[in-house]
Amino acid sequence: MSRYHAQWRRSALLATGLGGAALLLGSAHAQSPTDEPTVEQGPEPTVSADPGPMQRATASSEQIGAGTLMNPSISVILDGVYGNEFSGHVDDPGGFGMGHSHGHGHDHAHGIEDGFQLRETEIAFEASVDPYFDAFAMLVIEGTDHIDLEEAYFTTRSLPWGLQVKAGRFLSDTGYINSQHPHEWDFVDRPLVSEHLFGDHGIQETGVQLNWLAPTRTYLKFGVETLQGESSGIAPYEGHDHGFDDVSGPRLGTAFAKWGPNLGYNHNAQFGASAGYARAFQKGDIDDEEDAWDGDSWFAGLDAIYRYDAGGYKGQGDWTVQGEYFYRNIEADFYDDGDFEYAGTSKQDGLYLQAVYGIAPRWRTGLRAEALGITNDAFGHDEIEALDTSYRYAANVTFYPSHFSYIRAQVNYSDFAGGAGHGHGHGHDHGEDAWQAMLQYNLSLGAHGAHPF
Amino acid sequence: MFKRILATAVLATALAAGPAAAERLQVAATTTNMAMITQQVGGDHVEVTNMAPPDRDAHYLEARPSMMAALRGADLVVSVGAELEEGWLPAAIRGANNPDVQIGQDGYFEAAAQVELIGQTGHADRARGDVHPAGNPHVYLDPVRMAEVGQALASRLGDLAPEHAEHFYSNADDFQAAVEERLPGWEERVADAPGVLVFHADIDYLVHRLDVPLHGYLEPLPGVPPTARHLRRLVNELADERGVTLFADFQPADGARFIERELGWSYYSLPTQVPVDGDADDYFAVIDELVEAIASPAS
Repeated sequence: MSRYHAQWRRSALLATGLGGAALLLGSAHAQSPTDEPTVEQGPEPTVSADPGPMQRATASSEQIGAGTLMNPSISVILDGVYGNEFSGHVDDPGGFGMGHSHGHGHDHAHGIEDGFQLRETEIAFEASVDPYFDAFAMLVIEGTDHIDLEEAYFTTRSLPWGLQVKAGRFLSDTGYINSQHPHEWDFVDRPLVSEHLFGDHGIQETGVQLNWLAPTRTYLKFGVETLQGESSGIAPYEGHDHGFDDVSGPRLGTAFAKWGPNLGYNHNAQFGASAGYARAFQKGDIDDEEDAWDGDSWFAGLDAIYRYDAGGYKGQGDWTVQGEYFYRNIEADFYDDGDFEYAGTSKQDGLYLQAVYGIAPRWRTGLRAEALGITNDAFGHDEIEALDTSYRYAANVTFYPSHFSYIRAQVNYSDFAGGAGHGHGHGHDHGEDAWQAMLQYNLSLGAHGAHPF
Repeated sequence: MFKRILATAVLATALAAGPAAAERLQVAATTTNMAMITQQVGGDHVEVTNMAPPDRDAHYLEARPSMMAALRGADLVVSVGAELEEGWLPAAIRGANNPDVQIGQDGYFEAAAQVELIGQTGHADRARGDVHPAGNPHVYLDPVRMAEVGQALASRLGDLAPEHAEHFYSNADDFQAAVEERLPGWEERVADAPGVLVFHADIDYLVHRLDVPLHGYLEPLPGVPPTARHLRRLVNELADERGVTLFADFQPADGARFIERELGWSYYSLPTQVPVDGDADDYFAVIDELVEAIASPAS
C-alpha cells in the first residue's frame, strides 16, 4: 500500500522555510531587469514578472459574482408542508386562545393542518439603492390567495461610528428567532412562545430601528426600535372604530442588546436581552357584543445560542443549542358586550430550548422542548384565571441535498393546558394530548443571500 | 481622508487605545492564505485578523458575531472573492456597520477580482452543482496568481497608507520574486507527473499552472458529494491511466479510498491553507507538499 498522509509535513516545512527565508532575504537582487526570471509557463496568461513602478496596476474594489449582473437580486423560496394529526387534536393552549376566534381582519390559522398545504412562497428582492442605502423587500404568498408584505425596509450603509438605521416594515430584532424567516428555522413550526406572545408573524412592524455596534474586540450590539404597534400578540390596536380610544402611533418601543464573545473558530455563542413597551393593547370590539381588552403591555426576555463547528464534511458533527425565554404583562380593562367588567393584569411567559446535531454529511436531527405559560395568569371571562402550563416536544430529521434545498420530517407531541375561554373555564386541567407528523420541503431559487448569525 | 482620521481619532479616544494600534492599518482577512499575503505585503504596518480557520471549507461557513466585530474596526477586508465566501461575508459586512469595507469602497478587496479566473462558464444553472459562473474562486493555490494578488494588494494598501506605499510594493516584489524563484523547480518536479484526480475544482489552479494532466473530479458536480455511480464511471474511464488522487484536508477520503482500491492510485489529503498566522514560507510549504504529492510515483 502506497497510501500515506502528510506526516512529513513538518520537516518539509522547516526545510522549505529556511530556503524561503534565504530567498526572501536575497530577493532584492532578483529585481534587476537582467536576471529577472520568467514566469510564463502555465497555460493561462499572467502578468509579466514586474510591471515596474510606472505600470503598477491599481487594485479593484469590485465584487466578482453572478448576482452583480442583476439589480435587484431576486429569490423565490418555496415552502410546502404535509401534516397529519394522527392522535388527538391540537387546540389553542389554555389562556392563549384569545382573539383567534373573535379577531378582526385576516384571521387565518397558522397551525399546521391535516393534508397538503403550500404554506409560504417567499419572493424577496434585495439590492443596494445607492452609496447610502441598501433595501430589501419580501412578499409572502400564504397558500394560494393571501399576499402579505412580510418586510420592506432600507438600511443605511454609510453612517459613521458603527451606527446603522433600519426603517420600513421589518421583523424586530427582539430575541433571536423573531427576525428569521420561516425557511431559516431548524423546525417546521414557530416556537410557541414566539407565536403566542408576539403573534403569528412574531413582532412584524412598521417603524425605525437604530443600532450601534460597539468598537470592541468582542461583538456587542445595542439597538432601539420605535414601531407603529400592530403585532397581534403584544401590541394589537383597534382604535375608535371599535369603541376604543384613539392612540396615535408609534405605540410600541423595544430595546435589545446582543453580545458574542470570542471563543475561537470552533465555538460561537451569542447572548441577547430584549424588552419592549406598547402604549396600547386593544383587542376585540367593545361595542359589538364581544369580549374586549383595552390597556397597555410590556415584555422582556433573554435569548442564547451556541454553535459548535466540528469541521466535518457538510456539517457532520456540528452542534447548535438555542433557547429563548419571554415574559409578557398586559394591564387592561376587560369589557363584555360593551360593559366594563373589571381591570386586571395578565402575566404570561414561555420558553423553548432546542438542539440540532449533524448526524452525517448533509443530515441533521433536532430536538425541541417548549413550555408556554409557566406563569399563566390570563384574562378569562370573569376575571384573571391562573391556568396550567402547556408543553410541546418536537423531534425532526432534515436532509439538505444542497445549500438551496431541504426536506424535513418532524413529529410533535403537544400536551396543552385546558382553555380559559368564553364561559367554559376549565381551570386546572389539561386538554387532549396530540401527536402530529409533518413533512416539509423548502427550495430556494435565484440569488439567495447569506443569513446573519 | 480627514473623515477617516477624525473617525479613527474618535474611536481611539473612545477606546483609550494606544497610538501604536491606531497607526497600523486594521485588516480583516477571510482565510489564512489571504491573511498571509496581507501580512507579507503589509509588514509591520498592518494588523491582520483572520476570520476563518484554515481547515474548513470557506464555502460553508456562517456569519459569526466575531467576524462582524473584526469587520467593525477594519480599514480593509481581504477576501478570496468570486462568491467563495458568499454564504457569510456579505452578511458579516452588513452586520458590521462599517461603511469603509462595503463592496466598491477602498476597504473592500477580492483576490479573484485582481487576476484572470479559470472556469468562467457563464452558467448560473444550479442543476450543474454549486457553480461559480464568474469563474473558479480558488486562485490562492496558484502561486503566480497569488503574487499578482500581492501586487494589487500593495497598490491598495498604498492607497490607504500612502506614506508606506514603497514599502508595500517592495514586499510584494519580494513575494513575487520568491515565487518566480521557485516556479521552475516546481515545474521540473512534476514534469513527468502522470496526472491527478482532485476532489473539488480547487487544487486544479495549481494543476493548471504546472501543466499537469487533470484526470477529473471526485465530485460529480461542484459541491455535490461523490456518488457510487460517479466513482464507478471514473474507475472505468481511468482504467488505463496512471495518477494520484489529491484533496484538501477538510474533504472526505471515502471516494479516494475507493479509487485506490480499484485503480491502485495513491491519495493525499493535504492542507490548502497556511496555519493561522502563517507566513510566505508556510505558504510555499503548502505548495511544496501539493507539488510533492502530484509528483509522487504513480502505482
